[in-house]
Amino acid sequence: MENFTRFDIYDTKGIEYLFVIGYLLLLIVFWNIAKSPQAIKLYKKAIGTVSAKVLRIPQGIFFSRFHTWTHLGESGDAKVGLDDFLQQITGKIKFTRLKNPGELIEKGDLLTVIDQGGKQLEVYSPITGTIVDTNSLLTNDQEMIVGDPYESGWVYKIKPTDWVKETQTYLLADEAADWATKELDRFKDFLAGEAMKRYSSKPSMVLLQDGGEIRENVLSELPDDVWANFQEEFLKIS
Amino acid sequence: MGLKRRNFLKTLGAVGSTLTVGKSFGATSKKEEDIEFYGILYDSTLCMGCQSCEFACAEHYGLPNPEDMPEQGVVRKPNESRRLTINAFNTSKGEQYMRMACNHCNSPACASACLTKAMIKTDEGPVIWREEKCMGCRSCIISCPFDMPKFEYDSPNPKIQKCRMCFELLKEGKKPVCIENCPADALLFGKRRDLLEIARARIYADPENYNHEIYGEHDVGGTGVLYLASVPFEELGFRKDLGKVSYPELNKTFLYSVPAVLILWPAFLLGLRNSRVKENETKPIKE
Amino acid sequence: MNREQHTGFIPFIKRELKPKGKIVTPFNIIAAITIFAAIIILVIRFTNGLGSVVHASQERPWGFWINFNVITGVAFAGGAFVVTFMVYIMGMEKYRPIVRATILYALLAYMFYAGALLLDLGRPWKVINPIIGNSFGLSSVLFLVAWHFILYMGSLFIEFSPTITEWATLKRPRKFVASLTLAVVIFGIALSTLHQSGLGALFLMAKPKIHPLWYSEFIPILFFISSIFAGLSLVIILETIGRRVFKKEMSATHKNSHSNIMIGLARICSITMFVYLFMVILVFLHNKGLNYINSPWGYWYLVEVIGFVLIPCLIFLFGFKRLNLNLVRIAAGISIIGIILNRLNISTFTYQWYENTIHFPTWMEIVVSAAVIFVQILVFRWIVRRMPVYNEPPGWAIDVKKEQIIYN
Repeated sequence: MENFTRFDIYDTKGIEYLFVIGYLLLLIVFWNIAKSPQAIKLYKKAIGTVSAKVLRIPQGIFFSRFHTWTHLGESGDAKVGLDDFLQQITGKIKFTRLKNPGELIEKGDLLTVIDQGGKQLEVYSPITGTIVDTNSLLTNDQEMIVGDPYESGWVYKIKPTDWVKETQTYLLADEAADWATKELDRFKDFLAGEAMKRYSSKPSMVLLQDGGEIRENVLSELPDDVWANFQEEFLKIS
Repeated sequence: MGLKRRNFLKTLGAVGSTLTVGKSFGATSKKEEDIEFYGILYDSTLCMGCQSCEFACAEHYGLPNPEDMPEQGVVRKPNESRRLTINAFNTSKGEQYMRMACNHCNSPACASACLTKAMIKTDEGPVIWREEKCMGCRSCIISCPFDMPKFEYDSPNPKIQKCRMCFELLKEGKKPVCIENCPADALLFGKRRDLLEIARARIYADPENYNHEIYGEHDVGGTGVLYLASVPFEELGFRKDLGKVSYPELNKTFLYSVPAVLILWPAFLLGLRNSRVKENETKPIKE
Repeated sequence: MNREQHTGFIPFIKRELKPKGKIVTPFNIIAAITIFAAIIILVIRFTNGLGSVVHASQERPWGFWINFNVITGVAFAGGAFVVTFMVYIMGMEKYRPIVRATILYALLAYMFYAGALLLDLGRPWKVINPIIGNSFGLSSVLFLVAWHFILYMGSLFIEFSPTITEWATLKRPRKFVASLTLAVVIFGIALSTLHQSGLGALFLMAKPKIHPLWYSEFIPILFFISSIFAGLSLVIILETIGRRVFKKEMSATHKNSHSNIMIGLARICSITMFVYLFMVILVFLHNKGLNYINSPWGYWYLVEVIGFVLIPCLIFLFGFKRLNLNLVRIAAGISIIGIILNRLNISTFTYQWYENTIHFPTWMEIVVSAAVIFVQILVFRWIVRRMPVYNEPPGWAIDVKKEQIIYN
């Protein structure tokens, strides 16, 4: 009866648009529910999982086995700093006991002490030399996240005295990536051990070795004796 | 999480049922089926070109009286000061007259194009313009295959001028003034269904005299104003390339895909992003 | 670490409102004259009706303002949805330096072109009707386009608001709006697809009036694809101009990656135009276009397609292969002219082509259109000189850089 009475081929458009609005809102909800299975309540961002894939291992940077790095710049000065692993498992830290330009530092000397609400870790220098500059971003006695540990997050610029000899045993690129993977596994074992000593009632804090990923800033929630143990196991230059 | 899923399904069910219920209310309301379109039948063979219809329309709507007469070789189109014109054409059967005004299409392009519902197809048949809603965007003029709505360009408060089949009079049970005032009975008013039958009857009764076609029966999906003539309609200023499909159908593919795009694109983009982000995390930083 | 120390809201606003840079420059003078003239013209338009300044007639209802500023101008604002797609969805970090400027340009373009649309309405005070639900003409394509403009302007504004919060040092608001970025980008891309093609769909019902070589049911799709390379071509031109005019404001990263970005965009434009060309040929075959080619309009069609689609596509290709930035800029310029030509062909020149009258706009229409563009440029310049559009975000925003780069 189309040609003798009113007929509108678009009469459902109103309901369709309302439906679409509802859909878009529900999509946001549904997407958040339908995240991949490793998601647990504490999963925040994709970069929040510290896995070997996520640790950023840039090119041209030497890694000591004690979670510091060094990079020789064109000017002949070397930058040194903490690696991404250390940054990501601690979170917001203060850099204390920083040295001033002009001071001498030896390989194995204290580079800096990173502090989080009283919990501390001593970090040791990977090279010997004279300090040319200290990063002003870190000197303000504030707790901060170093988002960019290999670029703007350097700790000192040092004029090295024996660069080649000292960096000979250090790791570069692919080797560093392999080492980082092994360190992560070692760290997971370490955490599992610490957890079993104290936190058997909160299994969500520590996910296990087979496929589980470590939560971001996990050390920040653990007490200072765990920090002391970590210092012994991972950062002490033997 | 179980609670959220339950709510999600509940909402989906509620929306789904409103959709079906809503649809059924729209399509088969008994009241709408009873009201059939009115129409106008214009028989060019009877028209004398006296312009009584033009004068009546101008007087009824307060527009200026027409100052020129139908003349062969000159096509007088409706404009912002006249809604209806009669033109003379030199055809194979001598001088014939033809009316030019809004055709009150069954599925009007102008009403479909109007974003404020200022131009609407009423249940009774006439396509009318409502002043209080119009923005003056002129989409109706762009869409109308006959270019019938006319805009008052020289007024700071411009109106659209177009035949409205004297809609107010229809509501009172009267006929449009052009039909009331035609001395030659060239114009007939009634239900579109009846007018089609009358038109067919006229053709069958007098096949030599009539061109065997009722313009507006199927053209542009059918119009409320039907035309009879003694010669083919191209000779009387009609375009034959306007098609038999109603003009809102031309938008159908586009408008129907809009909600679909709004549903599919976000899901697709979210998925794309998810896969790309994970890939990026394995790239080393380079400067 | 530097700390923003603004000593209060009012002094801050006062400081920001002061003009930066010389006030009397040739550009400023021309802009001022044009805008002043436009205001006068608009007063005439509103007191005497549209016909007093516009060359529209009953046969050609849409004049220069709609056909140029809206139908054509909005195509060039398509850079925003393409660039946000590349950076936020596909993670092409190479293009991150241009994201903010592109979004800003698009935001201003939509705002001012929607404004230009209001000027062309016969009764603009009734524009509120389809917005507040008084009467939704749901079957109308223009309704869809209007609503999408509003929603998309909102999306662009939210996408741009982290920059505004950085300028006004509002840290918590910045965190909030930055978290909305992904949702709003995705919504924006869906909306853009629909309204860029919607601008073409406005003409679908004008089938008997547009020349058959230009009219097809595929107009919406062609408009959408052409808006991709139109937007990117304009980004190329904007970057070229911006690099000189806003030298002070541009960050080192941006300056250094300029060539890289331009070459990358040239490649994308070249590929898109190649695809577009074949879509056009497909539509040509579908329309049995060979029947119409042998006529003045047919030759004009060939000029448009070969001269302004095929040729810039090839120049982009050479520019990208030979790493020649000048070729890229020339190609961008030609393709911009091509888009203007195509849009004006469909909306103005071939509209009622059988009447065989050429319709030119009045000088008054051109002045107003130019004034709209000038105002847009002035606002753009004001914002770029004060907000971190071309330069790096302030220090306190860097440690939330994670949210900026990767988002979830």
